[in-house]
Amino acid sequence: MNFDWTAEDKEIKTRLIGVFDQSCLLELEALEDADLRELKNITSRFLKRLARIGYLGIGAGPVAGSDTLGLMAGQEELARISGSLFLAVEVTARIFAGLLRCFGGSGHVGNILEAVERGDLIGAVAVTEPAEQEHDGGLGAVAWLDGSDYVVNGKKDFVTNGPIADCLAILVHVEEQIAICVVEPGLPGLVIGPRMKTLGYNGVAVSAIELNEVRVPRSQVLGPISDRSPLEFLRLTEDLVLTMASVGLIQRTIAEARKYSGLHQRSGKPIFAHQEIRFKLAEMLTLSQTSQLLAFRAGWMCSVSDSEAATLVRCAKVFAAEASEKVASMAMQIMAGQGYLSGNMIERGYRDAKYAAVAGTTTERARMAIADDLLKRYV
Amino acid sequence: MDFGLTEEQLMFKEQVLKFARREIVPRVQEHDLQGKFDRESWKRLGEFGILGLHFPEELGGSGADVMTSVLAAEALGEAGVDGGLTLSYGAHTYLCADTIFSHGTDEQRRKYIPRLAAGEWIGCMGLTEPGAGSDVASLRTRAQRDGSHWILNGTKMFITNGAIADVAVIYAKTDPSAGHSGISAFVVEKGTPGFSVSRSLNKMGVRTSPTSELVFEDCIIPAENLIGAEGSGFLMAMQTVEWDRSALLAPFVGAVSFLIQRCSRYAQEREQFGRPIAYFQAVRHKLADMKIFLEAARSLVYRIAWCKDQGRPLNHLEAAVAKLFVGDWSLGPTNDAMVLHGGYGYCHEYDVERVFRDGRLAPIGGGTSDVQKVLISRLM
Repeated sequence: MNFDWTAEDKEIKTRLIGVFDQSCLLELEALEDADLRELKNITSRFLKRLARIGYLGIGAGPVAGSDTLGLMAGQEELARISGSLFLAVEVTARIFAGLLRCFGGSGHVGNILEAVERGDLIGAVAVTEPAEQEHDGGLGAVAWLDGSDYVVNGKKDFVTNGPIADCLAILVHVEEQIAICVVEPGLPGLVIGPRMKTLGYNGVAVSAIELNEVRVPRSQVLGPISDRSPLEFLRLTEDLVLTMASVGLIQRTIAEARKYSGLHQRSGKPIFAHQEIRFKLAEMLTLSQTSQLLAFRAGWMCSVSDSEAATLVRCAKVFAAEASEKVASMAMQIMAGQGYLSGNMIERGYRDAKYAAVAGTTTERARMAIADDLLKRYV
Repeated sequence: MDFGLTEEQLMFKEQVLKFARREIVPRVQEHDLQGKFDRESWKRLGEFGILGLHFPEELGGSGADVMTSVLAAEALGEAGVDGGLTLSYGAHTYLCADTIFSHGTDEQRRKYIPRLAAGEWIGCMGLTEPGAGSDVASLRTRAQRDGSHWILNGTKMFITNGAIADVAVIYAKTDPSAGHSGISAFVVEKGTPGFSVSRSLNKMGVRTSPTSELVFEDCIIPAENLIGAEGSGFLMAMQTVEWDRSALLAPFVGAVSFLIQRCSRYAQEREQFGRPIAYFQAVRHKLADMKIFLEAARSLVYRIAWCKDQGRPLNHLEAAVAKLFVGDWSLGPTNDAMVLHGGYGYCHEYDVERVFRDGRLAPIGGGTSDVQKVLISRLM
């Protein structure tokens, strides 16, 4: 047992923090109100900076297991600095590139992966589908072989990075198996929908996509894969990313609320001197440390392929997601009217916090899966 | 980071689980209902070696590390041992015996530790008073030097094991003008003239652990019963916090593991509306919440134990976080377990009712949750 970061993990943290100087932080502020073009430019610039410290190549693909904690060391810092940038980067480097590494890796896909590690490419994964297309837990988007191409039809919802992606991985069914189509925007029949308006994470672009008889060369299709492992990989990876997004959000929210409570005065003293405020901050810090430790323990379980790893990831995700909502709410209460004003970090955190509970494995689905595991263990 | 336990630690935890289920648990409900200390279980805990795990072998212990001690305490809770017995064990081993072991003279160690480790003697610790709980500096119990003796006067409140203890570690003011630095610790043996138990307290939970008020009226004890240096009592009391936030919290964590197993099985046996209640999402939701609490709490408690094993000074912030989390957040799972069992869960015959009552101590004993919030906010 060892609750300390290794020297390598600390190095990752240090290098990551070193990327963000004061001008970078102002640029990240601009991300939240940016139009698509500006958003793509800012995201691309930061991807290149993160590529220079090797961050984009950590923990993706077949070696993901053993690298999980090192990755989380870095994720914690990036998520604390900017939630929106964190999501855009992780979708590219861990979810999109991770999927390609696990189920492909050579040829055309190999070139794409190299581009990701250089910070030259924004990636997106399209897996969620509109309710009307869902059937028996399978994918409604389908592909069939026609000569040397697959022809793809279907709709996808909530594609993070969709409007700014240079490359998309689209999960479809080929007969009863899963295949991953790796495509670039502009392909005939591929329609990237307008940017969706979302409650939070306004520095991330999300859209639906539609595929109408899209012809994808066979060399750009991974699979078909006979089991559900691509979906399981995505679920686990996304849940870990969202857990760390929550951990980071909690930390930056507490820092801001603590700072404010020391500066803002009421009844002739800083509001931190009042027990109502201090106790809120104490609860917030307790939620923070607990979320953090549970997340790392889940990550460690993944790294040693523990039989309970998937359950622990779900536990960590539910706890951190709900803790972030509570912390954001308490922080707004501490900052009162100031916190309620649009554009400040607390108001943004309050809006962002909901995302982790509804994205990836929703907290409801996660709880059902945790309980199913317990019911199997204790018969 | 590495959250893995060693093979030896895992095996020992398994052994404690089996031992407790076989030797202790069958008598738990009966003693809880009677509100009676279980001397037979105490004897067996001593024989198994639980009561002196971390003491050196030459003093009757097993030389175990802190993490192993925490796992043993967790295993007792997980097996279904009541919170009363685990509280008595915690007060005896960590608050009393460990204070003598860590700060006492060789003579004091040789005299008390082997008997305490074997369970032959029972120990208690007296810090809290009717007017002084978390505010240690306001202690009123007074110890005055008189030649080769100390004379103790005062009252101690809420003393776990007080009525059954053979040995008590008592904190008293030796210099009332010196604040925290004027507090010293003493060993007081049962039968010492002037030392009496004035009343035993009837409690909601942890009922097998006797809680008493102790009175010292011109209680004369030998000068050599002073533990450590005069005026160092406050530091000693603070050092017990390390155990308080690890080995004493662990049974509460283990108890939730016990509830998860109980509730998972009950939910699959109990049928309503033509199907096992495990089918219903509200029931599964409760099970999931118990599991989330369990894993979160484990992480926090293990961290305190690991740091102590590394010989690091206690991180008071992390300790208070662990205590606050286990204290406040454990109320949800114990309540859920009772509700999941419906009317049965409200009856004494079902152990989930006992765990609910026992768990209610978690946010109160050893520093209330409010006191933890004061500490956390002071340190953040």
